Amino acid sequence: MLALIAPAAVTMALFQVVPIILGANASFRDWTLYDPKKTWVGLKHYIEVITDPAFFGLAIPNTLLFLVLSVSLSLTFGLGLALLLNRSFVGQSVVRTIVLLPLMVAPVIASIMMRWMFNDQFGIVNVVLEGVGLPPVAWLAYRWTTMMVIVLADVWLWTPWFAVLLLAGLQSLPKEPFEAAAIDAAGPWRVFRSLTLPMLRPVIVVCVVIRSIDAFRVFDQVWVISGGGPARTTEMFSIYAYVEAFQRMNFGKGSAAALVGGAVIVVFGLVLYRLLNRAVEVSK
Amino acid sequence: MKGWTAHLRAFVAAGAMGVSALMASSAASAVEIKIGYMKHPIQEASIAIMEKWAAKNGVTIIKIPMAYEIFMEKVTATLTSGGDQYDIIWHNDDWGQLWKNWLTPTNDVPGMDTVLKQTVDVAFLNTDGKPTVVPMAHTFGVFYYRTDLIDEAHLPKTWDELSTISQKLQQEEKVKWGFVGSMAMNHSWFSWFWANWTNNCDVLAPAYERDNKVLAANGWKPMIADKCSQQVVEYWWDAINKTKISPPAMISYTRNDANAIFQAGDAAFTVADLTLYGQFNDPKKSKVAGKINIGFLPLGPSRTEPVAWNDIWGWAIPKGVPAERKEAAKKMLGAMLLDKEGQIDLWKATGGPPPNTEVWKTLAETDPLFRRADEVVFKVMKVIAGGYYTPEWPAIHKAYNDGVVGALNGSREDIPKKLEAAAPAIHAAAARTN
Repeated sequence: MLALIAPAAVTMALFQVVPIILGANASFRDWTLYDPKKTWVGLKHYIEVITDPAFFGLAIPNTLLFLVLSVSLSLTFGLGLALLLNRSFVGQSVVRTIVLLPLMVAPVIASIMMRWMFNDQFGIVNVVLEGVGLPPVAWLAYRWTTMMVIVLADVWLWTPWFAVLLLAGLQSLPKEPFEAAAIDAAGPWRVFRSLTLPMLRPVIVVCVVIRSIDAFRVFDQVWVISGGGPARTTEMFSIYAYVEAFQRMNFGKGSAAALVGGAVIVVFGLVLYRLLNRAVEVSK
Repeated sequence: MKGWTAHLRAFVAAGAMGVSALMASSAASAVEIKIGYMKHPIQEASIAIMEKWAAKNGVTIIKIPMAYEIFMEKVTATLTSGGDQYDIIWHNDDWGQLWKNWLTPTNDVPGMDTVLKQTVDVAFLNTDGKPTVVPMAHTFGVFYYRTDLIDEAHLPKTWDELSTISQKLQQEEKVKWGFVGSMAMNHSWFSWFWANWTNNCDVLAPAYERDNKVLAANGWKPMIADKCSQQVVEYWWDAINKTKISPPAMISYTRNDANAIFQAGDAAFTVADLTLYGQFNDPKKSKVAGKINIGFLPLGPSRTEPVAWNDIWGWAIPKGVPAERKEAAKKMLGAMLLDKEGQIDLWKATGGPPPNTEVWKTLAETDPLFRRADEVVFKVMKVIAGGYYTPEWPAIHKAYNDGVVGALNGSREDIPKKLEAAAPAIHAAAARTN
């Protein structure tokens, strides 16, 4: 048995555990990339991160807001798509393939595409707005419009992921309750609310927890679309850690920020999982 | 038959010995030089000069391109770990101060006496005061204008004239925008910084000073809340919201966004790197090809004399490179500096002024664009270096950019208050300099 799991365990140890230990070690040291003295500084970096108003006052709230918006919208659209694709219609396989396309696009490419779509001078979005007589918008010049573009890019990328998993969940549901509901002349909304959604909840819980943890560490979309701007207003936790470690070259403080963020997401993930799990239990 | 196989064996053995002898001799004499660089026309052109020398001297060049976004981080990690992954690396004034202790002095590279000394001394000296760079080209922003819209005699000399001329051109529907330039983080040079410099202003006091000792003696004082800086932010606020000579989203523009608008023919003026002259003049890439020239930066209300900036890009040799390769690298870089024909080719191909100042005389006599660059940059009395040469510069720059962008992105009345609030973060970043 040990021999069977050894390759996976060694790989995990080398590529996950060791880097985390190295990062954790760096977070307690004076470790700039250009002059790594590596002298022990204790909790200095952690105190700097925790007391920095930009971390708990800006980066973490932005990240949580992004997480809630992106996950809930992706879930809603993904569920809608899954319900549509669960029906038989001509060209179903073609539509399924098209729906899956965003999953094949790298987040960086999608984000560059989104940035140009929302470019105030050349972007297709403003062309459409002007076409219908509305004024063009400087989408990336303001906090909330920029945040909207970032969330939109993420929703576009992740909706198919929800759709695929929820479609698999839908197709594994037993047919009998739906047949009974049909005999009782239950309407589509009643069937969805009283049968589909409760039976699909375990799948939804797993999807939401996995996706939330992933959304917390979002980087590519924010970096490409706004770089955390204008004036840090869309800065997320991962951008904060990256800027500290690789732009300011302070590897120690960047590592500390990453570990504090890691702790936040562990707590957030546990709370979320318990809440959603309780919702599933209640619905049984 | 037996004799035939014996002959064949002898022939193969002799052949094999000959080949291995040849390989051994070539291996003994061949030197491989690995160059870590970014794919950019200037760097490609500079490497092309080195390749000429390498071909004549039996040196093999191995090019290792890297993306700009990861270049500094990756090479810094290589330097500090003592690896000899590269024999020559691209070196930039922005990180000159970070690498000074990890690089080989270059004072003995042939041709170093032909370069503009102050551009080397400002950012590239090690703790012993020796240079650690071999310049490849000068890089600096210049004021571009459209020759089909305005002639040289009527170029804007002040910010006010920039606004009025732009508005006139916009009203006549000759162009969509007057001025376009980048404002987002790491693109501050093409709006914020040049406007500061043309207004007797800067990020840290005293203005235009780059000596860390002087800056430290002045307490690493930010100028962001000073009147001159307030005038800069108010000018851009007006340009976007009142005179409307610049696009509303300019606050979020990178240099690529701004350049795209100028190349599309939608702006009359921009400030961009001179090395983009070739791109702006390429009919395949630009609608303004053949219709551009460069001029002096328009001046703000606090300054009356022209100002320009001048930095270099260069090459460096890591300390960890073995002696034989280090010597070959120095010879090759020296040959690059002294290859006058190659340097003229570099200028013609890229618009990047070559590092060998002896070539400038030839270019000034034969090339109208170089003559103009000579006039609006090299001959200007006040020439500024584009960055600050402390390891904290990325943090200082970020704090400054966040401050001015934050102030611009609100009401005009709040600008002084917001600039005042941004000053402590700049000071805190700068004061961390050892």
